[in-house]
Amino acid sequence: MRKVLLMARRDYVESVKTKAFILGLIVAPLLFGGGFLGIAILKKKPDLRDKNIAILDHTGVAAEPIMRAAREKNGRELFDKTTGKQIAARYVFEAVANTADASLALSDRIRSRELFGFIEIWPAALEAPPDEPATEKERDKLPPRAGFYSNAGAIDETRAWLRDPVNRGLHAVLLSRLHLPDTELKALLATVPLEPLSLVARDPKTGRLQEAKKKDEVQEFAAPFGLVLLLTMIVMVGTAPMLSAVTEDKNQRIFEMLLGLATPFELMTARVLAALGRSLTSAIFYIAGALLVLQGMSMVGMVRFDLLPWFFLYLVAHVVMLCSFAAALGAACNSPQDAQNLAVVLVAPVMVPYFMLVPVMQSPNGGMATALSLIPPFTPPLMLLRQALPAGVPWWQPWAGIVGVILWTIGGIWVAARIFRIGILMQGQAPKLRELMRWAISG
Amino acid sequence: MYAVELAGVTKTFGEVVAVDDLSLTVPAGSVFGFIGPNGSGKTTTIRMIVNIFYPDRGTIHVLGEPMNGHRTGLIGYLPEERGLYRKMAVRPLLEFFGELRGGRKVEKEVRYWLQRFDLAHCAERRVDTLSKGMSQRVQFIAAVIPEPKLLILDEPFTGLDPVSADALRDAILDLRRRGATVILSTHDMAVAETLCDQIFMIFRGRKVLDGTLAEIQAEYGNDTIRVTVEDGMAAAGDLPGVEKVRDLGQVLELRMSHGCDPHEVLRCLVTRSRVTSFSVIKPSLHDIFVRIAGPAAEEAADA
Repeated sequence: MRKVLLMARRDYVESVKTKAFILGLIVAPLLFGGGFLGIAILKKKPDLRDKNIAILDHTGVAAEPIMRAAREKNGRELFDKTTGKQIAARYVFEAVANTADASLALSDRIRSRELFGFIEIWPAALEAPPDEPATEKERDKLPPRAGFYSNAGAIDETRAWLRDPVNRGLHAVLLSRLHLPDTELKALLATVPLEPLSLVARDPKTGRLQEAKKKDEVQEFAAPFGLVLLLTMIVMVGTAPMLSAVTEDKNQRIFEMLLGLATPFELMTARVLAALGRSLTSAIFYIAGALLVLQGMSMVGMVRFDLLPWFFLYLVAHVVMLCSFAAALGAACNSPQDAQNLAVVLVAPVMVPYFMLVPVMQSPNGGMATALSLIPPFTPPLMLLRQALPAGVPWWQPWAGIVGVILWTIGGIWVAARIFRIGILMQGQAPKLRELMRWAISG
Repeated sequence: MYAVELAGVTKTFGEVVAVDDLSLTVPAGSVFGFIGPNGSGKTTTIRMIVNIFYPDRGTIHVLGEPMNGHRTGLIGYLPEERGLYRKMAVRPLLEFFGELRGGRKVEKEVRYWLQRFDLAHCAERRVDTLSKGMSQRVQFIAAVIPEPKLLILDEPFTGLDPVSADALRDAILDLRRRGATVILSTHDMAVAETLCDQIFMIFRGRKVLDGTLAEIQAEYGNDTIRVTVEDGMAAAGDLPGVEKVRDLGQVLELRMSHGCDPHEVLRCLVTRSRVTSFSVIKPSLHDIFVRIAGPAAEEAADA
């Protein structure tokens, strides 16, 4: 153990004082959180230019009520209620005459950027809709009711914005035929918001009922997601250099000298411990930084301190598991190019669960989320995410997950050590997958 | 007392038998030369002694006990494929290797060896800023701190200038005087002849020579003539009883067949050209090596 600790200390000290590690600490949050930061910045700096929308109304009665509903919506959403500052784009409408080539003329105006888009309302929009067609083909055969033409991309928030005033306008036309008083008309057209609320609970000390609180949806998304993002980032910062470092040391013929003093298993263990040290260093750096920032924003209350022991447990398991594989793969490589090609194999167990975060968040206790979070390479991020969500997980699942991860890690280290032992002195052509498997099985 | 004992050791890599039923004893306190052509099994044998490879069959004892991972600290090892942490400074690097082997602080020894090899001024320089010769001396120091009981050096003189080579030779002999056993693998036959107490040669994984230089040469007898003739090779063709003629530049080396009389050879040469020197000697280690592992021997072995 003395030799392992000595080699681990050397590897740790030499790696944390490199520019790559220090830069990695700074760059990783930008890399992983950059997308969300961009969205946040864009939300704070919305496009405030007017959006000109034309209405081509074949009913002859819908354009005016739709424009009225849109103006009302504009009035509600255009300005911040406390600061009075404009926070959204203003929608400016015009009704156009219904001529034979009106659609083409309006399309040309969109192309020349005079218009943002135009709405076309057909008479069927004011008729009782037929029964919901069973297939897409049957739906295509139905007469058109309303459409929105634009040059915008598939994810267009304008169309989503317009859906409400168009429907309100059409409902207003239909309701006007009933000659109802204005107050009833207003009540009929009003949208009732569905408030997100937490569960009602009883205070265990006083026995009093605790009222449900209004949930902060951003906070409920940000806290678990941030925790998993942090785990993924730290694991990547700690393990990513391992593959190339082992290959580099192999190319510089350092291992033979070391193998005269320590066993391959000791050598690999030292490497893994050094990587673990690197990961824990970055974990302390990031967690301290995050707590300071949240303290400054008076949001430290959103931190789930009860999950920190699990966080560190998953971190240690994930880093040990990936670093063992990285050491084995690095030992099997003969050049930095080989290492680069194999990096994708190493990154997969980190990135695959990263892309599954949204479906897991949508149904954290569904069958798929549960099954995925019990697959050992995916357990650390996905189980942690499920634990961090308000619904929580059955008590046994994190324990089952961690047992799986530990067994998987022990198996991984055993296989990796066998590949590492043979690979580090092997020169020449890089081994094929079959050969790696033979090394792993027969040693 | 033997420093190293190999008994019936065999190591194979797939279909290739790298070392075949090798038995060997290295006397304690000796400088023991390992010679053999490339790919003959020298490095594999050394790697088994230092516990990097495990033998498929046979046993290895080092300093009286079976070799295992806990005894690596007794051995100083300078591999043929040299490698150091290039970004580390010399002093911390040597302290690291010394502490790894000895399990204790080694600052004093590091200072001593750096001074001895005229490297004290480089102590804080990074390894990648050193010349090849300097790195090689640093690597040698890494192998001898703290002083090992068994030192294994694989081609230690390669790439060294004569001054550095002399310093290294002196260091090896000093270590032997202080009780260390040195196994020296080399392709330089002159080094093996002058530095080694005993020489072992491996060819195609099998032992082909083992003994002192005198014992080895005695096996071949006085079958070599060194002669200087004015007409050189032109005068040495078809000499009676001469099997092979080798042109060494200023001197010709003639190998006599069994029962050949050197006086007959001299008499014949004098009739052909002016002879300025003539001596009957034992074959050199170089010559013995070539006889065992040269192209003719390879062909014979393949047949």
